[in-house]
Amino acid sequence: MRKPYFVATVFVTISFASRIEAQGALSLQGLGYPAGGFSARAEGTGGGIADFDAFSSVSPAALAGVGSSALFLQYSPEFRRVTTASGSANTTTARFPLIEGVLPIGESWTLGLSSSTFLDRSSETNLKRAQIVGGPTDTVSLTERNKVLGAIDDFRLGLAWSTSPAFRIGVGAHAFAGSNRITFSQLFPDSAKFISSAQAGRISYAGFAGSLGIEWHPSRVIGFALSGRKGGDLRAQSGDTAIGSGRLPDHYSASATFEGIPGATVSARVAHDNWSSLNSLSSPGIQAFDGWDTGAGLEASGPRILQRIITLRAGARFRTLPFGLNGEKVSEKSFAAGFGAPLTRDRASLDVAIQRASRSAGTDIKERGFILSIGLRVSP
Amino acid sequence: MLCPQIGGDVQNITIDAVVVDTTVPALSGLGTEPGLLLASRGDTLDTRVVVRFDSLPATFIPKGDTARPITSVDSAYVQFILDTLSIKGAEPVTIEAYDVDTTANDTSTAALLSLFRPDRFISSQTFARAELTDTLKYFISDSAVLAKIQSSTRLRIGLRATGPGSSQMRIISSEGGFPPEMFFRATPDTTTKPLTVSLLSKTPIGESILAANLIDYTVIAKGPPPAPPSVLAVGGLPARRVYILFNIPSNIIDSSTVVRATLLLNQLPNMAIDPTDTVFVLPQIVLAGKAVTDPAKAAQIIGGITVDTLKLKPGGSGSTNVELASAFTLWHTQKPDTLPRAIVLKSVIEGNSPLELRFSSSEDVVALRPRLRISYTSKVPLGLP
Repeated sequence: MRKPYFVATVFVTISFASRIEAQGALSLQGLGYPAGGFSARAEGTGGGIADFDAFSSVSPAALAGVGSSALFLQYSPEFRRVTTASGSANTTTARFPLIEGVLPIGESWTLGLSSSTFLDRSSETNLKRAQIVGGPTDTVSLTERNKVLGAIDDFRLGLAWSTSPAFRIGVGAHAFAGSNRITFSQLFPDSAKFISSAQAGRISYAGFAGSLGIEWHPSRVIGFALSGRKGGDLRAQSGDTAIGSGRLPDHYSASATFEGIPGATVSARVAHDNWSSLNSLSSPGIQAFDGWDTGAGLEASGPRILQRIITLRAGARFRTLPFGLNGEKVSEKSFAAGFGAPLTRDRASLDVAIQRASRSAGTDIKERGFILSIGLRVSP
Repeated sequence: MLCPQIGGDVQNITIDAVVVDTTVPALSGLGTEPGLLLASRGDTLDTRVVVRFDSLPATFIPKGDTARPITSVDSAYVQFILDTLSIKGAEPVTIEAYDVDTTANDTSTAALLSLFRPDRFISSQTFARAELTDTLKYFISDSAVLAKIQSSTRLRIGLRATGPGSSQMRIISSEGGFPPEMFFRATPDTTTKPLTVSLLSKTPIGESILAANLIDYTVIAKGPPPAPPSVLAVGGLPARRVYILFNIPSNIIDSSTVVRATLLLNQLPNMAIDPTDTVFVLPQIVLAGKAVTDPAKAAQIIGGITVDTLKLKPGGSGSTNVELASAFTLWHTQKPDTLPRAIVLKSVIEGNSPLELRFSSSEDVVALRPRLRISYTSKVPLGLP
């Protein structure tokens, strides 16, 4: 989900300013960066608790654990530094990766509607090169600017059933939609002699998928979760013309929690994404790799501040990003920490997480990023 | 590696795209120039200036009194604003004034020049070079002005520069924003405010626009020799322009992105007058549609495409580049029937300077003919990553 209007309005209203700008980066290859659909709480635990978290758009079974109707919004700017042999660049990408509404229906059923960023392709690259324009000695510096804005979003309608905390099951219907707006400019230094040019294009994506999630707590201290998403076709078109199609990647995950330590929850998760099914939606030079996503974390009750118990979180995550660079996989390691605080007598809560992500692709290009996630839950 | 080249290399081609190239007169009209050229350059250049005061006051109001007829004229002068950067000649210059009122054709150069004769002489005034400042007070005969007032006739003054050496100056005209004005006192009493007389032309009758143009204008008694017909000429006196019509392959304009376009000209030296002075040339796009087939007329219906002027010296020679990228931007949006692929080269101070640039035309040898060099790129498919 890329800047939905109402989310944007909310954030502008409360004076969040963001700058959407990025350079070429390891994480932005191919169709873009998978934001993951994790809430700030789940990100704070390295994703370990994501399958049990109602506000992470992962397992529909988790919706049953929300308790009361709620609306959840998240803002996640990333502050990135890309270092190459020739220098480094600092950029910022502002994302609104997740919005979700949950509505319990009766005693056993819970309905959830969410929108999350599936693949964010927003980026901007500038390439300066010498070019002969005119006579043989007329060499000028040509700047190529390629700006892409937009993402493929995952809209999920989930329904969960549970009659006891021991077992939950949920199903989800997913619609994947979004667009990439591309502006390619060739800029010359002297407007009296040269004409700078700009081309614009737009690619739209549409596809469907279905998901299933199960959550089982055989005892009060141990929990297990399984979830899967089966992808359908994902079609790309420019205007009225179909320009390609692929399969939405199948996704499977398994998680476990341990609550045997009073006041603390230890969680771990492993997931697999069949990203290679998107290869047919990319140019021959772009390769998608199937990848594992593993993470573990700890969530524990912390200090009491202003009569509120603050929940502290920490975690680590390792995953393979979908699209490689020059045939090499791009891997991402991240360490996270965060906290959660109840607000207004638990009718709202604020979750904050900070991740330090390191990405590499077996080359001399390194990427470091700090992702700050701020999630706000409100129960009307 | 992270920022791969997306666009292709720029293609550069040079083509013989000129279909028509010709020198046409700048038909801006007598008296429309923003400056009045008063020059005496020996056998090379002789230009005169005419200012018309067709309405003179018959009465004045002394201080503290009522209106009464003018019976005397004192300290009459015409105030001119000079373009001091245009002044040439270090020696003193004498400016002679003649009565050039006539019933002959208003725009007849021959009729006007015949009036610069002794029996039409009004007055003269000599100025040292240092006295030629931006505001020039030219005193004329009080009796001549009084005679015109009392006879209720027009005062039309023709100015001619003479002197021991060459001289040249540009007087700002009414079109230039600072029209010449005449001042005189109708009484020796200095407490009475001087009268101001503005330029006015009552002829040609019924043609108010033309009459307004003729309140001040330049008459060319002798100009530099014109360029040969086979040569393209920009500027000079009378002023001329170059009209060039191109035939550009439509695939370049329609399907490619033109990033630079250059008209390659071969300049020919013109040593006739001030060969080392600078002429500012402004390329203009022709806006006349296909209904206007005469290049001379089409060359008058033009529009600006750039503020960047080309600076050339008349005595220069060799290849010269005229940048036309902006023209291609417009041509890309309009069909040739609406917007012909034609340009005009004109001097920025057209009609105000004798300087003339000359270029080889398409009648010259192949290597020296005007050609068009186009640099373009192909469009990039903006598809999947």
